[in-house]
Amino acid sequence: MSTWIELFPDLLPGLWVTIKLTLLALGLGLPCGVVLAGLSAAPSRWVRWPVIVVVEIGRGVPGLIVLYLVYRGLPQVDVVLSAFLSAGVGLAFSTAAYTAEIIRAGIAAVPVGHREAARALSLSPLQEFRLVVLPQALRTVIAPLVGFSIILYQGTSLAYAISVPELLSRAYNAASITFQFGAALTLAGAMYAVVSLTATALAGARSRERVL
Amino acid sequence: MNHPPQPLLEASDICIAYGGHQVVHDVSLAVAPGEVISLIGPSGAGKSSFLRSINWLEPPCSGTLTFDGSTFRGLRDGGVSKRQLQGLRRSIGMVFQQFNLFPHLSALENVVLAQVHALGRSKAEARERALQELHHVGLGEVTDKLPSKCSGGQQQRIAIARALALDPQVMLFDEPTSALDPEYAMDVLVTMRRLADEGMTMLVVTHEMHFAAEVADRVVFMAEGRVVEEGPAAALIRDPQHERTQKFLAAVKGR
Repeated sequence: MSTWIELFPDLLPGLWVTIKLTLLALGLGLPCGVVLAGLSAAPSRWVRWPVIVVVEIGRGVPGLIVLYLVYRGLPQVDVVLSAFLSAGVGLAFSTAAYTAEIIRAGIAAVPVGHREAARALSLSPLQEFRLVVLPQALRTVIAPLVGFSIILYQGTSLAYAISVPELLSRAYNAASITFQFGAALTLAGAMYAVVSLTATALAGARSRERVL
Repeated sequence: MNHPPQPLLEASDICIAYGGHQVVHDVSLAVAPGEVISLIGPSGAGKSSFLRSINWLEPPCSGTLTFDGSTFRGLRDGGVSKRQLQGLRRSIGMVFQQFNLFPHLSALENVVLAQVHALGRSKAEARERALQELHHVGLGEVTDKLPSKCSGGQQQRIAIARALALDPQVMLFDEPTSALDPEYAMDVLVTMRRLADEGMTMLVVTHEMHFAAEVADRVVFMAEGRVVEEGPAAALIRDPQHERTQKFLAAVKGR
């Protein structure tokens, strides 16, 4: 217990980096996911197919490979990002792909009659999507998106591999000085869990509120 | 025989197919301004498909539609441009069996939405007009409710108000009362009758024979994707000439 208290100040800045990384990945990735989801329902196959390929690559390739590609691969074509930005961009790519799939499912769940009503009211296809389909789809995908965000939050620990000073790497570095690996890693795990479970509880309370 | 006035809307040889399966065969219909036409017939007769082809929700594979001086050609005969399509839909209102109100918007917002985004009216103007239309269908009190908090009959009248707010020249009704309890259906039928009395041009797919007989000027009986018989409403329903029509009406009246 006393070891945990000693370690806590060392790990706390890591937690902050982890949260910033999660927010960056969501902030960049989620809007891209919405756009990809919209385009994956486009009438033209020349738009639809490339989008589906991008989404399937994003979901199919392990996040760690994406991070390495951004951090080690992009400099070969003279795009050099800091470790933090590389992690953010890489995780945002995976986020875009996964959230696109979640939102696509939400869009598919909007009754076709509502789209027909929008068309019959002479709304343009873009207005139909923006004003009728998307607002309904977003309501049904809030819970799965919160679930994904929590997995993403835990997944930011991959950034350890490209030496971003996030929570896991803070814990690991602290332990490699004191050799208290057990204490450092369980404390880091607990810090991940507390934020995850709090977010889950908040999301659950929100969704119950909406039902009532 | 007196000559009918120039038709407002004329469908010629409309064919509709799903996958290779043809469901509407060469249906033609001319609609005069102010005319109320009921489309009746058994399920699968192609009534709804034909109705939905008039605002291109179901693009016909061949045939033409003439409306307000413009000609719209079926997919095989050249199709229509996006701009043409939006023009057509701006002038034709539609009411669906399942109401299809937007569930995330209040009654008022449902009626406002397309006024602002399709017609470019200001929000204040659209709101004013929406209130007027909702009052007109007897729903001044539900303006701020979500559709899910309204009865089926109220929802369908909101849907009618939503279509009327765009100043359509023609209103299409696709089995507007089939999803409603008889009591609520009556509210909707009363609203539709008043609309007819006010001179709105209407095409109504319905199983309500009383409505067809009393409100419609003309009845078109369809079966197996074709027009079997058409004529003045009261006469056709009282005294159908074609055997297929007689069989259908006997079955419907016997219920």
